[in-house]
Formats: sequence, structure tokens, C-alpha cells
Amino acid sequence: MLEGILPDQIYIPLANKVGFSRLNEIRLRMDKPVLLSCCGQKFFLGDSGACKDLNKAIFCNRSMIEEIVFRASECSIYSVNEQIKKGYIVTSEGIRIGLAGNVVEENGILKTMTSFSSINIRLPHEIRNCSLKVFSSIVKETGILNTLIISPPGAGKTTFLRDFVWQLSERNLAYNILVLDERGELNIGKGLGIFSDIISFSSKKLGFENGIRSLAPNVIVTDELGEWEDIEAVKYASNSGVKIIASVHSDSIESFSRKQAFKELLEEKIFKRFVLLSMREGPGTLEGVFDENLSRLMRW
Amino acid sequence: MKWVIMAIMFVFCVGVGYFLSLRYKRRQNFYSALIMFAQKLDVEINFSRERLKKLIEDMDEKNKKHLFGLDKNFLAYLSGNLELKQTELFKNIQFLKPDEKETIFLFFKSLGRSDVLGQSKEIANFSKRFDDSLTKCSNENKKYGSLCIKLGVVAGLFLLVIML
Repeated sequence: MLEGILPDQIYIPLANKVGFSRLNEIRLRMDKPVLLSCCGQKFFLGDSGACKDLNKAIFCNRSMIEEIVFRASECSIYSVNEQIKKGYIVTSEGIRIGLAGNVVEENGILKTMTSFSSINIRLPHEIRNCSLKVFSSIVKETGILNTLIISPPGAGKTTFLRDFVWQLSERNLAYNILVLDERGELNIGKGLGIFSDIISFSSKKLGFENGIRSLAPNVIVTDELGEWEDIEAVKYASNSGVKIIASVHSDSIESFSRKQAFKELLEEKIFKRFVLLSMREGPGTLEGVFDENLSRLMRW
Repeated sequence: MKWVIMAIMFVFCVGVGYFLSLRYKRRQNFYSALIMFAQKLDVEINFSRERLKKLIEDMDEKNKKHLFGLDKNFLAYLSGNLELKQTELFKNIQFLKPDEKETIFLFFKSLGRSDVLGQSKEIANFSKRFDDSLTKCSNENKKYGSLCIKLGVVAGLFLLVIML
């Protein structure tokens, strides 16, 4: 993982002294220390591994960042420019690299980003059975309930969705699952089970429309709803009789219910279940399951 | 015996002339292949937007033959987590002048480092410079390449006359 992307100066202590299994995030900022996020805690990266001492930390420079972006794009920035415009690159291993730098605009249209100054490498994890606790409240004998996974960034939404798809396939329920993987993050490693079709790097609108028409799914699983266009796509799927399991950024049910874009979905009660995740005890902490009226059904 | 030695001497002189002329031929073929390489990259980057490595691997072997391993050296750089170095890139190529190597090095260094529009413009700029070099090499090949062979033949004949 990340071999051939990170420079040796960072990769060697990371691989030999820290390891990737418990690592969630690596942050590199120009002329600042390399920061690791591990089980909700922050460390600097030093030559001898993770440390709290700033004096022992490895510092990152611009050329390191530029080279990481170049290598992450498989030495072909032109091929990932559409992703760069959205502020990230996803590697073939499903690792999302968030970018900060100078945005180039022309006539109000975002053309690209240059002079990268910060990157945030988010390492995907496959945590088997992390969705099991709430599985039975989402999948009923009568069918699957439209469900929205709510959590702040980095709290395990994608890992939850990945496991949920795998659990559905594993139970041999024979649902045709369409995974709409807009950022290429869901489909990593050992795959998503035998009943899933995957559309990658497509917008929600296009993916929902084409997927429903051509693949006749029973369930659509997708990550990070946010824009009005996404809400329209959800409504379209719901009206087509397809069940939806999706995720959204928010740190609580209250702040989620205040989101303007979701007002209509809440009023129409399109989503029957809301699963709230948090970072309280590390990424993926289950906080509760709520029904369509946002009344709590389960608590941990 | 004398005739055999004379024949060997003649063939040797012509061979030396031909060998010297090869440098000019190689330079011409190299630039011709490099221009094809750049054009193909430009088209594919605009059309398929495939990764650089795959684009280079999929290129016509016949054309790549005249790049004298430049493509392979560049692929080795793409595959490893290494810095692009001139000495590594031109490992098997001796017939280029230092300024020519510098230009080609800059071309390869620029590959994959910008968006489609920027990359396309960059390739077009370098292609123009390679075109100029090709014209120069063609003229040199016509002028000095054939001259080397002719000199080889003349030298061979001269030796024959002396031996007779």
C-alpha cells in the first residue's frame, strides 16, 4: 500500500515502524511535519516511527508533495484532471488523496489545480462485520429499507457501506446491488461480493439513471450525498422502486435535519432508517439508529 | 593471396565508411521515431486519456525500435520510484549531442505533469523542435552520410591502387 507513491523518506518509516493496518490518515503539508491519524489520535512521523515530539518529526517539502501527486496519478496528471478539479485523486487501490493548492479558473470555470501545498491521504479499511449490529434494522423480511448513514468526515461511512454490501452478498439474499462508486473508494481489495455491479467515477445523476435502466438493481449503494443533483437522483431511484443505501456528512441528527437539501427527502420520508456514526471511540462508533421521524430506535 | 588481401582491404574501407554513415542514419531515424512517438502520445492523451505507462507500452514496436531503448528507460523510471536522470534515460544512446539530449530530457520530464490542454501544448512545442532537428539530421545524413560511404569506397580504391 502506497509503495511507489510515497517517497522512501516517508514510506520506509511508515511501512517498517508504523504499519498501515491501524492508520486512518496521513497529512502532508508544505514545510510542516508529516502527521498521522491513528485510531482517532494524532502523531508525527519520525524516522523511528510515530512520535509526539516535533523535533523528531519528518518535514515535508513542496517537491515531495508534487511527486506524490504525480505518482498517485500513475505519472499521468492529465488522466485524473477531472478528479483534481474536485479536489482529490483516487489511486487504483481506492486510496483517496485530498489536495490543496492553487485553483486555476478561467471565465468562472475551474480548469485545474496547481502548486499543490497539502495532501491528505485517507487509507481505506475493510472491517468485516462492522455493519452487523444494525443489519437487521435495515434489512427486513419484507425487504431493504432506504437508509442513510450519517457521520462526520473520517468516521467510517465508507467502511460501513463496504461491509454492508458484502454482508448482503454473503447472506445470499440475491439482491442485485448496484454500487455507485463516484470516487472509486468503495470498491477496494477483495471486492464487494458476488451480487454487486459497480459503476465507478460517474456522477450520481448519470449513475442512477443509467444503472436503473441498464442493470435493473434492487438496491443502490452510494457514498456521500450532498448536492441538489444527488437528491434528485435519490428521488428518481425511489420513484423507480429501487432501494437506496447512502451516506452523508453530518455530526448529529439535529444538524443533519437542518440541511436544506435534505428537507424534502425528510418530509417525504423517503429514508426509513438513519444510522449515526461518530469518532467517539475511534472511527465507526455506532451512536444510534433512527426511524423516518428521526426517533431513536437503537442506542449504544 | 594478394587479390584476397586486396579484396579484404577494400571491403574493410567501405565497411568503415558505411559504419560512420550509420550515425547520421540513426539520428534521422531516431528523430523521425520520436516525432511519431510524440504525435501518438498527443492523440491518445486527448482521446483515451490512458495512463502514460500503458500508452507507451502499447505503441508500435517498429517505431519504438528506432528510439534505441529510450522508451524502455523512461518506462523503467515510471515503474520505479526514482528520479528521472539524463544518464539513465540515454543509457544506450551515444549519437545525440548534449544540447539535443537536454531538449529530449526536458520533453520526457514534462510528460504526465499537466492537464490535457497543457500537456498537448507542451507536446506540440517539443514536436516543433524535434521537426527542426529532423530536418537538420536529414540534411546531415544526405550530406555526410553518403560522403562517408563515398570516402570509404575512394579509400578502398586508393589502397588497391597502392597495392597494385
